[in-house]
Amino acid sequence: MNVLECRGLKKSFGELEVLKDINFEVEKGKVVAILGPSGSGKSTLLRCMTLLETLDDGDMAYSDMTVCQSKDGKASYVSKKDLREVKKKFSLVFQNFNLFPHYSVLKNVVDAPVSVLRRNKKEVTREAEELLAKVGLSEKLDAYPSQLSGGQQQRVAIARALAMKPEIIFFDEPTSALDPEITAGILRLLKELASQKMTMVIVTHEIDFARSVADEVYFMDGGLVIEKGSPEEVIDNPKNDRTRTFLKKLEK
Amino acid sequence: MNKKNVFKKLIMTLLCCALLAGIGLSATACANKGSSQKNRTKFTIGFDAEFPPYGYDNGSGEYVGFDLDLAAEVAKRNGWELVKQPIEWNSKDLELSTGAIDCIWSGFTINGRQADYTWSKAYVDNSQVVVVKNSSDIKAPEDLVNKIVAVQADSSALSAFTAEDASEENLNLAHSMKELTQVGDYNSAFLNLESGAVDAICMDTGVASYEVKTRAKKGAEYRILEQRISSEQYGIGFKKGNVDLRDAVQKSLDDMLADGTFDQIAKKWSLEESVCLGQLGTDEAYLQDDREDISTGLISRAIDIAGQLLSGMLATIEIFLLTLTFSLPLGFLLMRIRACNITILSLLARIYISIMRGTPLMLQLLVVFFGPYYILGINVSTSFRFYAVIIGFSLNYAAYFAEIFRAGVEGIPQGQTEAAQVLGYSQVQKTWKIIFPQMVKRVLPPVTNEIITLVKDTSLAFALAYTEVFTLAKQVSAADASIFPLFIAGIFYYVFNALVAWGMSKVENALKYYD
Repeated sequence: MNVLECRGLKKSFGELEVLKDINFEVEKGKVVAILGPSGSGKSTLLRCMTLLETLDDGDMAYSDMTVCQSKDGKASYVSKKDLREVKKKFSLVFQNFNLFPHYSVLKNVVDAPVSVLRRNKKEVTREAEELLAKVGLSEKLDAYPSQLSGGQQQRVAIARALAMKPEIIFFDEPTSALDPEITAGILRLLKELASQKMTMVIVTHEIDFARSVADEVYFMDGGLVIEKGSPEEVIDNPKNDRTRTFLKKLEK
Repeated sequence: MNKKNVFKKLIMTLLCCALLAGIGLSATACANKGSSQKNRTKFTIGFDAEFPPYGYDNGSGEYVGFDLDLAAEVAKRNGWELVKQPIEWNSKDLELSTGAIDCIWSGFTINGRQADYTWSKAYVDNSQVVVVKNSSDIKAPEDLVNKIVAVQADSSALSAFTAEDASEENLNLAHSMKELTQVGDYNSAFLNLESGAVDAICMDTGVASYEVKTRAKKGAEYRILEQRISSEQYGIGFKKGNVDLRDAVQKSLDDMLADGTFDQIAKKWSLEESVCLGQLGTDEAYLQDDREDISTGLISRAIDIAGQLLSGMLATIEIFLLTLTFSLPLGFLLMRIRACNITILSLLARIYISIMRGTPLMLQLLVVFFGPYYILGINVSTSFRFYAVIIGFSLNYAAYFAEIFRAGVEGIPQGQTEAAQVLGYSQVQKTWKIIFPQMVKRVLPPVTNEIITLVKDTSLAFALAYTEVFTLAKQVSAADASIFPLFIAGIFYYVFNALVAWGMSKVENALKYYD
C-alpha cells in the first residue's frame, strides 16, 4: 500500500520549469532517498509534497486522501478544510530545523499536537518526554533552542515531527547544516526510525547513508527523475551517465 | 580609521565637554553656596540716585546720602570696598537676582514686599501717625470726620492724604475732614493743637513720639493714636535667601547703633526722629525665616506650578495612553492588510501609510478636527476636540507602527512560517502563536523610539487648542512671566520618557530568554 502517490507533477517558477513530469510513490514502512545535484528540483519536489508550494499540474494523494488532481492541464486542489486533514498525514524536518525560538524544547514538541490535533495536553506531554528521551534530550526539556547545538536542535525537530504521529516524515537535507561528527548521530537516529518501520522520504547528499538505509533511491536532475530503484541499482550500478557523473563528483 | 571611529571620538569629546561643564557648574554652585562673608572684598549696593536724603547726586558728580553713609560705615567695619551702584529702579530685582548688586539700600520700603526679599531690620520708620490732645474724644482716624487736621507742608503726611498713590481710605478721610491745614513747622502745629485751632496733627511717627515726649515734660498732655494713617518702614533688601550677607550687615548696623555711630549719621542727615533701628518690638520682615523660605520657596513654587500643570500632565498621559491603545492594534491590522493577497486592499494600505507618513501630524490633526465640518458639513462640538486629538494621533502612529511591524515580521525567517504551516497551524494560530511573539521582540527597540517620540508629540495637541501640559505650561509661563513652568513641563516630559524607556527595557529584558 502506498502512503504517497504522485503522478505527472509539474511546477514552474516563471519561465523556469523546476519539475517537469515527476512520478513518485512511497510504500508504507519504506525509506525513500532522493539524490541529485543542486537545482535538480529535489527540494521543490519535497516542498510540493508537503504543500509548501502549489503544483501547476499533476495528481497527488496521501493514502486514501486526494490532495490534487490534474484537470485540463492544471492541478486542482481539494478544499482547504480537506488540506488541513491531509497535513496531519505527514511531517517535515527542515534543513535549518526551524524550531520556534520563543518556545522551550518541550513546548516545541507539545504545542502542535495540542493546538492542531486538539489532543490532551498531559498525554502529549508524556509522549513528548518519551520522544525527547529517545533522541537523547531528556536533560534539555526546559532549554530554549538557542541554547542548543545544531545537532540537538535537529533532534528536537525530529521529535517535533514524530509527536504529530504522521504516516510519513520528510527530511530535507537534515544533516547538511551540521558538522560531520554530529551528522553521524542524526543519521543513526534516522536509521533507528527506519528500523522501526517509519515511512520516510529523505533528500540527502550522504550516499553511504542512503545506501545503507534506503529501500528505494530516486536520482533527480533537471526537474526529472533520471533513475529510480534499489540502492544497489542506482548507487552501485547506475545506468545513466548523469547519475554516474554526479556520484563520481561526490566521491571526490 | 573609518567613519564609525571618528563618530565615536566625536561623541566621546562631546560627552567629556558636557561632563566638564557640569562639574564646572556644580563647582560654581558649591562655591556660591559655601562662600562665607569672610571672603568678600566688595560690597555693591544698588540705590536710586534721585532719592534725597537717602541717596542722591550732590551736584558735583558724587553720590551722597544717609543710606550711602551707613553703607560706607558698614563696609569699613567689614573690611569691604563699597561700590555705590545707581540703578534703574524698574530693574532692581534683575540687578539683585543676577548678583550685579548685593543689596538694595535706598530708602527701600519693606511694607508690601516682606516676602520678596531677605530684609534687614527696619531702620527708618516713615509711618504717619495722628497726634491729639490727651483729653480729645478722637480715638481713631475715622473720628477725624469734620475735624481740622494740621500737616506740615510738603510732608509725607500731606502725601498720605492727597498724593495720587494715597490709599482710597485716606483720600476719603481727607475729604470728610472739615479742613486739612498745612503748617510751616511742627512747633506751630502743636501751638495750633494746644489752642484748639486744630483738632489733630498728622506727622511722621518718629517726630511725633519725640515731640510728645519732650512736650510731656513741660506738662502738655498729648497722645498718639494707635491706628496709623500709613505704615512704612525702610529696610535693606537682600536677595531672597542671602541670609549670610544680611546677618553680617545687620551685625555692623547693630554695633553702630550700640556705639552711637548710627545716631550720629542719622543726625547728620536730620533723620534722628525717623530712624527706628532696634525700636520696633516685632520686625516681621527681618524675623521671617528666609533660609527655610528659599528652599521651601523653590520647592513649594515648583509644587505650586506642578499643581497648575497637573491637569495638563494628566491630559498628556491620557493622550499618550489612548493613542497607544488604538494605534498599536491598528498598526498591526494595517500591517496585515498591507501584506494581504488582495491587491486593492494592500494598495490602499500602502497609500494610507504613505500619506500619514508624508504629511505633518499637525496638519492631520487639523483635518480630523475640522474635516467633518468642511467636508461633510457636520457641526463639530467642543468635546470632539479631544476625540479629534486621539483619532489624529492614533491614525498617524498606526502608520508608523505598521511599517515597524512589517519590518519586524519580515525579519522573521521564512522557515518559521513554513514550520507552522507544515505542522498544520491555522492562519490565526500561526499569526498569534508563532509570528506575533517573535515580531514583538524584534520591534521593541524601534517601537520604544516611536513611543518616546509620541510622548513629545503629544504637545502637538495644541494645534487643536487642547490643553495638555505643554500648552498649559506656555500659558502659565506667560502669566508667571518666567520660563520656570516650561522647565517644569520639560522635567515632566523627561521623567515620563525615562519611565517609558525604563519600562520598555524591562519588557526587552523579559523577552531576552530566547534569541
